[in-house]
Amino acid sequence: MSSPAARALPTGAPPDEDLLEVTDLVKHFPITRGILRRTIGHVRAVDGVSFRIAPGETVGLVGESGSGKSTVARLVLRLLEPTSGSIRFAGREIAHLPAKELVPLRRRMSIVFQDPVSSFDPRMTVCSVITEPLEAQGISTGREARRRAGELLELVGLSAGDLDRYPHQFSGGQAQRIAIARALSTDPRLLVCDEAVSALDVSVQAQVLNLLRRLQAELDLAYLFIAHDLNVVRYVSDRVCVMYLGRIVEQGPADQLLADPRHPYTQSLAAAIAADPRSGVRRRRGVVRGETPSPSDPPPGCHFHPRCPYAFDRCTSVVPVPVAAGPGRTASCHLVGEARGA
Amino acid sequence: MLEYVVRRGLYGVLVVALVTVFVFLTLRLIPGDVVRLQLADAPGVGPEQIAQRAAQLGLDQPLLTQLGRFVADAVTGDFGTSFQSGEPVTALIAERLPTTLQLGVMALLVSVVLGVPLGLLSAVRQNSWLDQGLRAVSVAGLSIPNFWLGLLLVTYLALWFSWSPPLVYRTPAEDLGSNLVHMALPAIALGVTGMAAIARMLRSSMLEVLRSPFIRTVRAKGAPERTVLLTHAVRNSLVPVFSLIGLQVGHILGGTVILESIFAIPGMGMLIFESVQLRDYPVVLGCVVVYGAVFILVNLVVDVLYGVIDPRIRYA
Amino acid sequence: MPATVPTPRSAAPLLEVEDLHVEFDTPDGPVEAVTGVGLTVGAQETVAVVGESGSGKTVTALAVLQLLDGGRISRGRVLWDGTDLTGLDRRALRRIRGNEIAMIFQDPMTSLDPLYSVGHQIVEALRLHSRMSKRAARERAVELLARVGMPDPRRRLDSYPHQLSGGQRQRVMIAIALACSPRLLIADEPTTALDVTVEAQILELLRELQAEYRTAMLLVTHDMGVVAETADRVIVFYAGQVVEHGPAADVLRDPQHPYTAALLEAVPGRETDRAEPLAAIPGAVPPPRAMPPGCRFHTRCAMAWDECARDEPQLYPLSGARAARCLRHRSGTAVPVATGKGA
Repeated sequence: MSSPAARALPTGAPPDEDLLEVTDLVKHFPITRGILRRTIGHVRAVDGVSFRIAPGETVGLVGESGSGKSTVARLVLRLLEPTSGSIRFAGREIAHLPAKELVPLRRRMSIVFQDPVSSFDPRMTVCSVITEPLEAQGISTGREARRRAGELLELVGLSAGDLDRYPHQFSGGQAQRIAIARALSTDPRLLVCDEAVSALDVSVQAQVLNLLRRLQAELDLAYLFIAHDLNVVRYVSDRVCVMYLGRIVEQGPADQLLADPRHPYTQSLAAAIAADPRSGVRRRRGVVRGETPSPSDPPPGCHFHPRCPYAFDRCTSVVPVPVAAGPGRTASCHLVGEARGA
Repeated sequence: MLEYVVRRGLYGVLVVALVTVFVFLTLRLIPGDVVRLQLADAPGVGPEQIAQRAAQLGLDQPLLTQLGRFVADAVTGDFGTSFQSGEPVTALIAERLPTTLQLGVMALLVSVVLGVPLGLLSAVRQNSWLDQGLRAVSVAGLSIPNFWLGLLLVTYLALWFSWSPPLVYRTPAEDLGSNLVHMALPAIALGVTGMAAIARMLRSSMLEVLRSPFIRTVRAKGAPERTVLLTHAVRNSLVPVFSLIGLQVGHILGGTVILESIFAIPGMGMLIFESVQLRDYPVVLGCVVVYGAVFILVNLVVDVLYGVIDPRIRYA
Repeated sequence: MPATVPTPRSAAPLLEVEDLHVEFDTPDGPVEAVTGVGLTVGAQETVAVVGESGSGKTVTALAVLQLLDGGRISRGRVLWDGTDLTGLDRRALRRIRGNEIAMIFQDPMTSLDPLYSVGHQIVEALRLHSRMSKRAARERAVELLARVGMPDPRRRLDSYPHQLSGGQRQRVMIAIALACSPRLLIADEPTTALDVTVEAQILELLRELQAEYRTAMLLVTHDMGVVAETADRVIVFYAGQVVEHGPAADVLRDPQHPYTAALLEAVPGRETDRAEPLAAIPGAVPPPRAMPPGCRFHTRCAMAWDECARDEPQLYPLSGARAARCLRHRSGTAVPVATGKGA
């Protein structure tokens, strides 16, 4: 791979500083009504999210539909502009950076989406797909770019001979490998995986997860791994953030979070995961009542309180702040941090 | 839903206004001086008479002044008087409009009543001989200009069956039978294009809908194929067809200009035809405004119909 | 030689699929998606059909109710209470669909007609198979919605699918399916498109209703966890064939086909060691036109022998009402197939 100097961050930040630091990130989408398109409310997709990613680390972001996790992915890459809050990438504040200045930073962050086939232009060959970011960033063109594309394909477990084929000729797992090759073409330090394995068959999912781990070790990549499957997130991540209705309700080391969840929502997620089929035991899953409310009208106070088995009056009015729940762990629940564990 | 309709209505008014101004200006660009046309053969015509006539018609004012006066009058419903006959334009239009409306409605009926079953059959019997045949008919229908079809119909009916439509127009009140026979041919000529377009659109829309998962659910419930098609598939296929109908009205209105002349029907189309030849600006303008308003209104109704059929649009 | 599974109960099975072959027409000629599949479902039993994409599990489920679009059953029988559904005329088939056998599908958003209210769609199901008046049907629809856990059921009757959440739409689908108290419910990946907490709710609902209505269920899924939780028996599909079947608890605890074992190993679980790579299955499912000779799984199998590339394994019966399509069982004894650690 390229030399350390070539992979240096354009901001010149020291190598051991946090790669990504997100603080109080907020994104509200306006809802309009009426003849004159008046704004009558907001979809509070992301409602105050803070986390950080160190170089080479994998941070998992887990949540269900309406949690805002995909919006966070897009905000981090500045595909959307936040309503408020700070995003520091490699020491540089990018939350409201104008598009032109973002271009050199875009080299160092990439994204892999859920559906590989629909994230490719069906008329472009695999070679064009992979070299497009290289050309857009002015890194290389023509034969040099093609050579690099071939290298990348080999890196992800395909062959350079596939360069002139079309994406639809590949299976789902192979197409996702092509997407990963494309994401790696500009030599990023941070790769955002937005449900990158959710649409794949189980056997293929395992292959792609193994590939991602190998690449992380070889290329010193950091991942923001977004998924709804708690088991997969736990396996892949060093630390995990659990999101509910636009807020992070719990953060901590992956192992501990699943083994001993402190926030009631995390507990219900963990309980809702099916019993381990290998044990052959038929275990009734803990069922939490109700469904996630709409992000345009979230409940006041703690967003989870209408569904929480432990809610009391404080929960309906006061927003819980992250409280230490063990070494390196925080949870946003009024019951955590007090004498009794939730 | 109400604000959706109101918003559409406001846009519609804006469009009619813009169209009017546009036509006003374009008319003035056509070569041909109406004053000279009128006074061409009169003896003793000199520059003073020309200037006098021009002033009478209000043509000596600067263009913008003329436009301003027209708009001011039009807003109160006064479209001026015909340069040719001196009659108020609104009276002329009122006399002719019902005839053209009747022709338009008949043409639209031809389009829809023939086009919908055609499209349905094509979709249900996809790739069969029937489908291929109907698609060929569609292509033909789309390709043939309506005035040519009109001429063809008149010519060959006369040639083969020694039959021609009535020469004198009778209103429905006077003689319904004669009226309908008279209007039938131009209605067909005007409606065939729409029939073809609707059939094609409905066919492709239905084919797509029939592949949808919810159709499978309906069959899984044990519904007869008739219900699957008519209750579920057709309704889901209608939205693009409605759009098409809205646009077809435009083609039909445009087609009336020539077809009424071919078939000697005293409607607005013929009025426009004659008035353009005579450079009778006020009449032409008035007719265009009315046609524009009719078109906008029909499309407004189509927009409302979307909401009636599709709850996702209604409750957006 | 097709092998139909003897049901553990003494009663005759409700549904019996024998030697099913399903073909699809493609521009390059017909292609077989399902080859020689047999399965049975007994009264009030829950049978899970598990496999990945392209395994033929959904096609088999659709074939039961003759709902194949673009495909046809080229061989085999589907016996319902002794009657072969493949030979029935349309009218007789319609009397069974929605009435004796009902089906729910994967994505509730696209599986409900967006232009009609959910009440209308439930009422339609009721009136297709009974002489209920519209008013009586509406009342029954309210009861059904309440029974499937829909909050405020009377008002919800007039809601449209796009106004409901994913979980609510699936509840509506279940209400439609159970409206006529069918004896068999076929559920094609009913929870795949739903959040995991909602999935838990829906599966619990299905369990309750099954017990209450005494309905048997044929559940198609790709999730072994769902199988563990709901199924009495499980049938594992691979590349258009049944590769293993038996009582769910036994198969999951002690799989006898390498594919089943590999599938179980490939999913990260609570205890999976994060430091080790996952036990992925190398390669990909062969496309229907390019099936390898011999055993269809042998090119990806960690325990393949030389014979596996030549001889096609049959579904060899094993003790405990089980069977596996693996040459290791040709002699009739169970041989361990747990992967990885030196088997």
